[in-house]
Amino acid sequence: QSRQESPEERPQFPGASAEFAERLEFIQPNVLAGIPVYRVMDRQGHVLRPSEDPQLPKEQVLKLYKTMTLLNTMDRILYESQRQGRISFYMTNYGEEGTHVGSAAALDASDLVFGQYREAGVLLYRGYPLELFMAQCYGNASDPGKGRQMPVHYGCPERHFVTISSPLATQIPQGRSLGFWGKSSGILGQEIPVSLGKEPRESGTESLGFGQKECGAFWGRNLGNLRRNGRRKVPEPRGPFPGSDPALPAAARGPGYGLLSIRVDGNDVFAVYNATREARRRAVAENQPFLIEAMTYRCGLPESCSGTPGSPWKSSRIGHHSTSDDSSAYRSVDEVNYWDKQDHPISRLRHYMANRGWWDEEEEKGWRKSSRKMVLEAFEQAEREPKPPPHLLFSDVYLEMPPRLRRQRAELERHLETYGEHYPLQQFQK
Amino acid sequence: GQTQKMNLFQSITSALDNALAKDPTAVVFGEDVAFGGVFRCTVGLRDKYGKDRVFNTPLCEQGIVGFGIGIAVTGATAIAEIQFADYIFPAFDQIVNEAAKYRYRSGDLFNCGNLTIRAPWGCVGHGALYHSQSPEAFFAHCPGIKVVIPRSPLQAKGLLLSCIEDKNPCIFFEPKILYRAAVEQVPVEPYNIPLSQAEVLQTGSDVTMVAWGTQVHVIKEVATMAQEKLGVSCEVIDLRTILPWDTETVCKSVAKTGRLLISHEAPLTGGFASEISSTVQEECFLNLEAPISRVCGYDTPFPHIFEPFYIPDKWKCYDALRKMINY
Repeated sequence: QSRQESPEERPQFPGASAEFAERLEFIQPNVLAGIPVYRVMDRQGHVLRPSEDPQLPKEQVLKLYKTMTLLNTMDRILYESQRQGRISFYMTNYGEEGTHVGSAAALDASDLVFGQYREAGVLLYRGYPLELFMAQCYGNASDPGKGRQMPVHYGCPERHFVTISSPLATQIPQGRSLGFWGKSSGILGQEIPVSLGKEPRESGTESLGFGQKECGAFWGRNLGNLRRNGRRKVPEPRGPFPGSDPALPAAARGPGYGLLSIRVDGNDVFAVYNATREARRRAVAENQPFLIEAMTYRCGLPESCSGTPGSPWKSSRIGHHSTSDDSSAYRSVDEVNYWDKQDHPISRLRHYMANRGWWDEEEEKGWRKSSRKMVLEAFEQAEREPKPPPHLLFSDVYLEMPPRLRRQRAELERHLETYGEHYPLQQFQK
Repeated sequence: GQTQKMNLFQSITSALDNALAKDPTAVVFGEDVAFGGVFRCTVGLRDKYGKDRVFNTPLCEQGIVGFGIGIAVTGATAIAEIQFADYIFPAFDQIVNEAAKYRYRSGDLFNCGNLTIRAPWGCVGHGALYHSQSPEAFFAHCPGIKVVIPRSPLQAKGLLLSCIEDKNPCIFFEPKILYRAAVEQVPVEPYNIPLSQAEVLQTGSDVTMVAWGTQVHVIKEVATMAQEKLGVSCEVIDLRTILPWDTETVCKSVAKTGRLLISHEAPLTGGFASEISSTVQEECFLNLEAPISRVCGYDTPFPHIFEPFYIPDKWKCYDALRKMINY
């Protein structure tokens, strides 16, 4: 019996299944920095390995393409409308369309999604009408959210998309806890709570979300985590916070939390689709969560977010987080042009479709025209609609309205009787 | 000395510039501050003082404040930025359980007095739930920290410099709607405005009105309306420091006028007006001619499309004042 095998010679620390080491050696933090990026197509839309082609039927591929392009068209029009002051705020999805539709197509329509705020393509893929996107952005009387939130904060129970909130990463622990109860309560059935979001925050929120893995496994529910990673290069990746180096992939964090993890090319709809599909299948079968890091780039014309409340920055023609956020200050123009011209989920899928004779210039022209018309019609309608009645300011704070709040509502009503001329009442329903 | 036309964000930059120049240990950090900040408050500072003194943090408020506390504990001057006050809550534990209690719990062996946290604050016209909040009341309930809110560029620079130099952890809320809109001649050189001192902007005899930040401008306008329409003389007070607050100035004023109106955007219930009201009725009970009036946001989250109806605007303040006069 060797010295290592005798029980006294192995570490007895609970939970540790390791050996002793006699040489002082640190584990390199960047050992996982070079995690390979899974892709199916090259930039010209050719499938590199036939076995990886999900072989989706033509109608579905067209749907993926049309969803991405319709989203892009909606983004352009709504972005412009913010610049013109018609809506107060907007966030585009430029460059990330592939991650939305690829994941949405791979999930079941009834999988509950907890998004961050840049997942509109998931909702669009699930059939959310343009009218309702616009209604929410305009905060008008048709908005199911009752005009409570800034634009792009969509939600839809029928399409299993939890209403967006602005704070970052708050959806992670929420998504995980739903995983606990689903199976035992029988309410969710096979639905999988999926948490989508941007670069992970280096925060307790994330730790809380990921760190509950044991519980997730114990309760036997599943959770996928699709992290969109729209890389935004900050000027000094090596600040005093090396752990947050943008070169360190989110996927590298997964193993630290005990998650099966993968990095995929977010500009490749099929890569996103395959990874999500497989993660979903295994999450259900094996009752464990997955982390998918979809690499992409926030790109294109113009900003990716416009109208950050109060912000003084002027707009520019390169993708930003918001109008307040002049990303030209920290990304070179060349880089963005490259991504825009060379590598985009929409163009990649179009190449794939064209390669199969499923799409051509004429179809493209026709679709551009009709999709633009659809968006403009929905837009004009949303503009014309009045806002909800002001008394809706007071409801839904609790399920039941407390007496004090009822009094405040009555106060406002009385106030408007006397001072109504000073308020934009004509824009609101009675 | 020499002054320069500055708006609110420029006056903040000027204060930070002065602080970084005067104090070699001072560092400025937060999300996106390196390129100048989403509100331009830190433009040019990194170029001037280098990447070791003006730098970005990860997207993690808990970490930003925790890191700031650590720096302050070592004796260096930490000036942390939280991108919106609405996002300060992940740092609440660090602020309330750590920063505020550092000196007390250690018997003054340790402290993080060199910490200042800045955050954009208040309504902006379309900010909705998460870009409009005024969370001062949460922090007013926490002995050990100071909470300061300026109404203008001139005030902001002097108050911020006082916070930075103050030997207690301070939270400095900046009214974001004023970042561009408010413009004044501001001294280029550093200067201080004392903390915990309210300012009487306008003396009067019939009603005292108290507010802070943006709302000071609202009550100033109401004071003019009251004089013109009702012949009522108002005393207007900018509280400036929420914690520890200047009870003396407010009580002295109410002892004179007999009427008090307090106004803030934050919701009514548990808002800081409650604390002021409670203290004043203790100190000035026999002076009061009418119940103290609070004109505040409603007890709801801050709504988007309904903002014009939600905010305690001049008409609501004027109406409350009128009722108080006629009591």
